[in-house]
Amino acid sequence: MQPNAVADLPQDQITLGEPLAQRAGMLWTAGALALSAAAVFGWLHADGMQWFLHSWLLNVTFYVSLSLGALWLVPILHLTRAGWAVAVRRLAEVMGANFGVLAILFVPVLLGIDTLYEWADPLAVQNDPLLSHKAPYLNVPFFVLRAILYLAVWWCLGRYLLVRSTEQDSSGDPNVTLRLERASAPALVILALTATFAAFDWIMALEARWYSTIFGVYYFSGAMVGVLAVLPLAALGLQQAGRLRGAITVEHYHDLGKLLFAFVVFWGYIAFSQFLLIWYGNIPEETQWYRRRLSDGWESLALVLLAGHLVIPFFGLLSRRAKRRAGILAFWSAWLLAMHWLDLYWLVMPAVEQPVSVLGAMIDVLLAVGMAALYLAAAARIAATRCLVPRRDPRLVESLVFENT
Amino acid sequence: MNNHEPTPNTPLPGVRVAGLLAEFDGPEPLRLAAERVRDLGYVHWDVYSPYPVHGIERAMGIRPTVLPWLVLLFGVAGCAAAILMQWWMNARDYPVLVSGKPLWSLPANIPIAFELVILFAAAAAFIGVLGLNRLPQFWHPVFSSPRFRRATTDGFFLGIEAQDPRFHETSTRELLESLGATTVETCFAPATRPGLPAWVRWAGVIGVLVALVPPLWIARARAIRADRPRVHPIQDMDFQPRYVAQGPGPLFADGRAMRPPVPGTIPRSQPPADSLLETGLDNGKPITHFPLPVSQALMVRGKERYEIYCAVCHGLAGDGRGPVAIRALERAEPGWVAPRSLHVDAVRQQPVGQLFQTITRGLNTMPSYAAQLTPEDRWAVVLYIRALQRSQNARLDDIPRDKRALLER
Repeated sequence: MQPNAVADLPQDQITLGEPLAQRAGMLWTAGALALSAAAVFGWLHADGMQWFLHSWLLNVTFYVSLSLGALWLVPILHLTRAGWAVAVRRLAEVMGANFGVLAILFVPVLLGIDTLYEWADPLAVQNDPLLSHKAPYLNVPFFVLRAILYLAVWWCLGRYLLVRSTEQDSSGDPNVTLRLERASAPALVILALTATFAAFDWIMALEARWYSTIFGVYYFSGAMVGVLAVLPLAALGLQQAGRLRGAITVEHYHDLGKLLFAFVVFWGYIAFSQFLLIWYGNIPEETQWYRRRLSDGWESLALVLLAGHLVIPFFGLLSRRAKRRAGILAFWSAWLLAMHWLDLYWLVMPAVEQPVSVLGAMIDVLLAVGMAALYLAAAARIAATRCLVPRRDPRLVESLVFENT
Repeated sequence: MNNHEPTPNTPLPGVRVAGLLAEFDGPEPLRLAAERVRDLGYVHWDVYSPYPVHGIERAMGIRPTVLPWLVLLFGVAGCAAAILMQWWMNARDYPVLVSGKPLWSLPANIPIAFELVILFAAAAAFIGVLGLNRLPQFWHPVFSSPRFRRATTDGFFLGIEAQDPRFHETSTRELLESLGATTVETCFAPATRPGLPAWVRWAGVIGVLVALVPPLWIARARAIRADRPRVHPIQDMDFQPRYVAQGPGPLFADGRAMRPPVPGTIPRSQPPADSLLETGLDNGKPITHFPLPVSQALMVRGKERYEIYCAVCHGLAGDGRGPVAIRALERAEPGWVAPRSLHVDAVRQQPVGQLFQTITRGLNTMPSYAAQLTPEDRWAVVLYIRALQRSQNARLDDIPRDKRALLER
């Protein structure tokens, strides 16, 4: 371990810089405008905000998944003592610390519980033996409490990983690395539990009569695809803006691409594992969920996911060259990000039991774009006061010079 | 480290110079030396290090391997083999219908396909690596250097072989020394390429011959007609240590292996004690009254059983529009006889004993429910069917006097 590799990286390369931060600041307004427009369209949709709230939930869970993925990735990098990843780790740390804006964006879900979740209606629970059986877990106060707990835990964890790592930028203390490594194992356990139950609560409970124990892993696999797709895009974007030119090399893109490829396959494995058992068992209380998602036009989306989230990117990312050309990798990253969004769309939106309309699609897109703007603005705010690489991490030199053989 | 005996510079008789082995101080000098040797155009040479040296492939000028394509090819072949195999086995050669599922269906094929893709790809990678590197290699001239053993602990070596067109014992040695080698030694090999020892060759031949015996034996056994009893290779399966029916056994006082039936056992052919309750027939004719007391509890039980076992086809209202029936109709299942509405006159006029018989024995596509429903439960279901029939053909008189006003409103 050689500490202190600051010399190689000039300051303007590893900070966001005032102009860029200011430009990101304008995104707050843009995001707020898009979300307001979506709300107007949601009101015009005239279904008691059903579509709007479901779409909101879909988009919140999408952006939460990106930060959750980052929150998973960072402790894994610490635990495996990953030398290669140090140069891109700060970007993931910033994403993982972005739960402030996500917590605010989650408020409408809490306000719309009655519209979103059938079990929030006491009458429905009373008349349904299954719902009343689940009532001790699926009830409004406990749901709100859990949501607050999850978001609070993730916020703390994200801040911890970021702040400690930033501390090292000034102190250069190698003990920080060891401390983060020690904290990472319990952090992963906590994350696995909270994220699994969050997936159960927020998405699976939309159809509360159905359950699948693998659902949390399903959400995790998508989240990892999400974060590993965002990181190359973020790196490439920053490099085109003149940042991180000396820090992030083709080798980092290559490794991110390998992980992205791996999690594309992992997603396929998990999605199919859930499907196969239910398909084979062929029991109505299990198949109802797929029945709804494989009829009324949703089956086309399912096929799009099979092809676009697994088969096509599998061959697209298979070759070494695809992962080593930042442009090609960025294409597949954007592609997979869209697919991850569509995957959540397929999970959430069929619960509305309405066909997709032009107005509905406009709500979906406006919310996605609006939240993207707010997410980016918040991330830029976090990044503005910090270095974009952990510049005194003991393994930074290793990360800067390593080569994939 | 230089206290080894001096390397002989003149080959002994029967021995030829096979190459030069140079040792370097560490991975970086080795990498730099490799770059020079590469640039000078040597082809038959290699480097040896205790761990993979980053960037050594480029330093040696090794071109990207074809292995990935091989692995891809075999992966695709594995996928095709798995799907073809399952189609052949399950849909063609030996079709077995499992709980009404399609004989051949893609989702069920995926796990096997997945495994075979991995198996084929991994085997191609493993065998491909060995083959492309010409491994395993049991002997190599560098093994003649005792120093070379340190290539697995702390030695970094570069060896140039004599068969290289640019190899010259003195000038190549000077080159290696100029590249910063700590030592350069000559490796020797027998003048004629050493073949495998004779005993290994014989062992191989005998091994192949022995391995041929079982398949030949099996082939012969399949081709000829035997007059002797078959061979029993798996004795404990063919001759199981067990007691047989009607045979002797030492476990019980009467010396019989089989237990006599429990007192009171009756043969299947003999009518049961309460034949009205258990058959619904009186002298072969269906009975018209319930052979057990009718109660509210029986009705509740009947409703519950009906909704569990009958409603999937007959529908909750008994109109024959249960989900299974609707789906069978949608799919135009061959051989499917749609369930009748229980409210048509033909069914309504059936005596209760006949309804009981239908549940007990089944009718058309409907199987017997005797295994799922006890006789009492079957009567309960009959009772509930009667209630359903009544409800679909109700008159105003059936409604309690004080509730009639509700209907009229």
